[in-house]
Amino acid sequence: MKRRTLHALAATTAASLLLAGCGGGSEAAQDEPFDPNEPVTLTVSVWNLAGTPEFQALFDAYEEARPNVTIEPVDILADDYPTKVTTMLAGGDSTDVIAVKSLMDYSKFSTAGQLQDVTELAEGATDLGGLDAYEQDGSYFALPYRQDFWVTYYNKGIFDAVGEEYPADLTWDEYVDLAQRITEKAAAAGIVPAEGTKTFGTFTQPWRSAVGAIAAAQTGGDQLGSDGYEFFAPYYERALELQESGATLDYSTATTQQVTYRTMFTTEQAAMVPMGTWFTSALLQAQAAGETDVEWGIAPMPQPEPGGETVTFGGPTAFAVNRNAEHSGAARDFLEWAAGEEGARAVAATGILPALQSQEIKDAYLALEGIPTDELTQEALAPDEVALEMPVGPTTAQVEQVLTEEHQLIMTGSASIDETLENMAERVENEVG
Amino acid sequence: MAAPAPPVARPAPPSATTYSNRSQVRRNTLLGWSFILPNFAGFALLTLVPVVATFGIAFTKWNAYSTPEFTGLDNFTRLVQDGNFRVALFNTVYYTVGHVPLTMAASLLLALALNRKLRGVAFFRTAAFFPYITSIVAVAVVWNMLYNPTQGPINQFLLTLGLEDPPGWTSDPSWAMPAVILTGVWKDMGYYMILFLAGLQTIPPELHEAAKVDGANAFQRFRNVTLPCLRPTTFFVLIMLTIGSFKVFDLIVVMTDGGPGRSTLVLSQLIYREGIVNGRFGYSSAVALALFLLVLAVTVAQYTRNKRLES
Repeated sequence: MKRRTLHALAATTAASLLLAGCGGGSEAAQDEPFDPNEPVTLTVSVWNLAGTPEFQALFDAYEEARPNVTIEPVDILADDYPTKVTTMLAGGDSTDVIAVKSLMDYSKFSTAGQLQDVTELAEGATDLGGLDAYEQDGSYFALPYRQDFWVTYYNKGIFDAVGEEYPADLTWDEYVDLAQRITEKAAAAGIVPAEGTKTFGTFTQPWRSAVGAIAAAQTGGDQLGSDGYEFFAPYYERALELQESGATLDYSTATTQQVTYRTMFTTEQAAMVPMGTWFTSALLQAQAAGETDVEWGIAPMPQPEPGGETVTFGGPTAFAVNRNAEHSGAARDFLEWAAGEEGARAVAATGILPALQSQEIKDAYLALEGIPTDELTQEALAPDEVALEMPVGPTTAQVEQVLTEEHQLIMTGSASIDETLENMAERVENEVG
Repeated sequence: MAAPAPPVARPAPPSATTYSNRSQVRRNTLLGWSFILPNFAGFALLTLVPVVATFGIAFTKWNAYSTPEFTGLDNFTRLVQDGNFRVALFNTVYYTVGHVPLTMAASLLLALALNRKLRGVAFFRTAAFFPYITSIVAVAVVWNMLYNPTQGPINQFLLTLGLEDPPGWTSDPSWAMPAVILTGVWKDMGYYMILFLAGLQTIPPELHEAAKVDGANAFQRFRNVTLPCLRPTTFFVLIMLTIGSFKVFDLIVVMTDGGPGRSTLVLSQLIYREGIVNGRFGYSSAVALALFLLVLAVTVAQYTRNKRLES
């Protein structure tokens, strides 16, 4: 008797192990209709749900608008998001809606045929910022719900204390001078945020995009390297000048200590921080939680020449429908809703700029409590041109890797700018493809 | 699974019981298999199959979505011409050549120091073992802070010693690898110290006493008694350390992520980048194969050498 039980146990274990290895998913119909009465549980993959408030805001508002739908978020660690979703999709996972974090991921998933064609939804949405970036041979496989671009956040308190005017209409050279002046004046006036720290004029986030993407946007250079990388040179020169004169925390310290722009700005260690508009949302949260009482404003990015158009860079964020979605109808409805008026309102309420850029939405955004209402801020939030952070193509990821590696060499002062930029071009030509 | 009962030489049993004996053996075999099945199935599914598959995938072009496309030796031709591969190969060897002897020396010294009766020896042994069980991420973050070129305690200390231009450690391409190696040694020495301690305690004290009577001094006793008696342990430590060093990944990823530039890019990181990040599993498998052959060659060489020394 005892032995028989053991046998049965062993057999069951074996069987269940085998079965666990091959869980299958069924292929869903692409044009399944959305029945507003049938209860549906819609699964949506997202990154860092707790730290990305617009997701929960969207889900709550959507559930209210569609009472038959329950949204089940699939929360994934932000750093692992691209690889995790790649693996999920390759494995035939049936999560309905996929939040697409970057255009690079979008290109990867859509060319692999993992996303449903949503061209008809895209055709109805006209003033959706950043929609063009998702076009592929006349088809669309995702709809943007959020559009970020880079601006300059500045600390009004520090500006007032050192007696400088707020940073309106600056060129890059003026910006560098201003940052150095603020650093000197703050040191002379003994403005110290906390013991052992100092007030810097600016903080250059160690990301490559903080130098490279803005250079490409404002000079029209091609970051995929079709004509070399000389257009980076003046931007790297200024970045090094800021660092060498002590007007910003140096790159090596920022990376080895893992210093973030958020800490530098909210603890008043940096008077100006160029950053994406998502920072607004984080600042509002920090203010609401009582973590900071910085009085801040937003100014446009500095420009290469005075008096020209305001050019910055940024990128949209989108939702897409999984090809293997279990509830295609509901998923497509969610995409359309999130990119539309109601979705945009929910996103704007968290301090994130939605992709839909109608005047009402902008007004709603500016009316949020805590957002500065001065004219400079309004001007900064309406740039003349938002260039894509990085052109999307089959070689983007590889080029980005090379550019990042060479960026580190320049910023740590390990190699000269000219030599490194030549190396960059050479490596991109030889290694990528 | 349906293995025939092993031919066992035993006195021929009465024919009436042969059948039931055989079925008994078969039943036992099956039972044995079913006991190791949970573990073995996991190993086979998650380790054995992928490892074997690597040998095939290395000759294909495959992005994990499409059907693999056979491309012959293309991946290997590319490997030979790839600048990243050359850099990663050099760095991997650099790390191993630095990490293995230093860790062996440090852990052996620690073991010798703590292999005696002294007050609080358990405390010191625990302290030495602690880095090994500390989370690698915490280790990397803290060491990065220590290595900070301007505010880090290491350079502050070097400055007070009178060094004018202390190294930039993890933010300087020529110092990043030594910095990572040092951290690796610090982290691993506790574990190998335990192995050496176990080895030291198997050495019969009579040998040391006899050597002492013969007038051998401490260093002579160490060279002629301790080291030879430790050879099996040393060999095991050497093999484990070599393999561990060649496949170093986590420490590098969290400390420098291959940077600055490509100064600490190692092979296992290149495999990850090409496969998981860029979706080129064919090429990534070819790199993995190259790493496998490298480890195999070095391990076989060490075995051969050990055999020669033993005989």
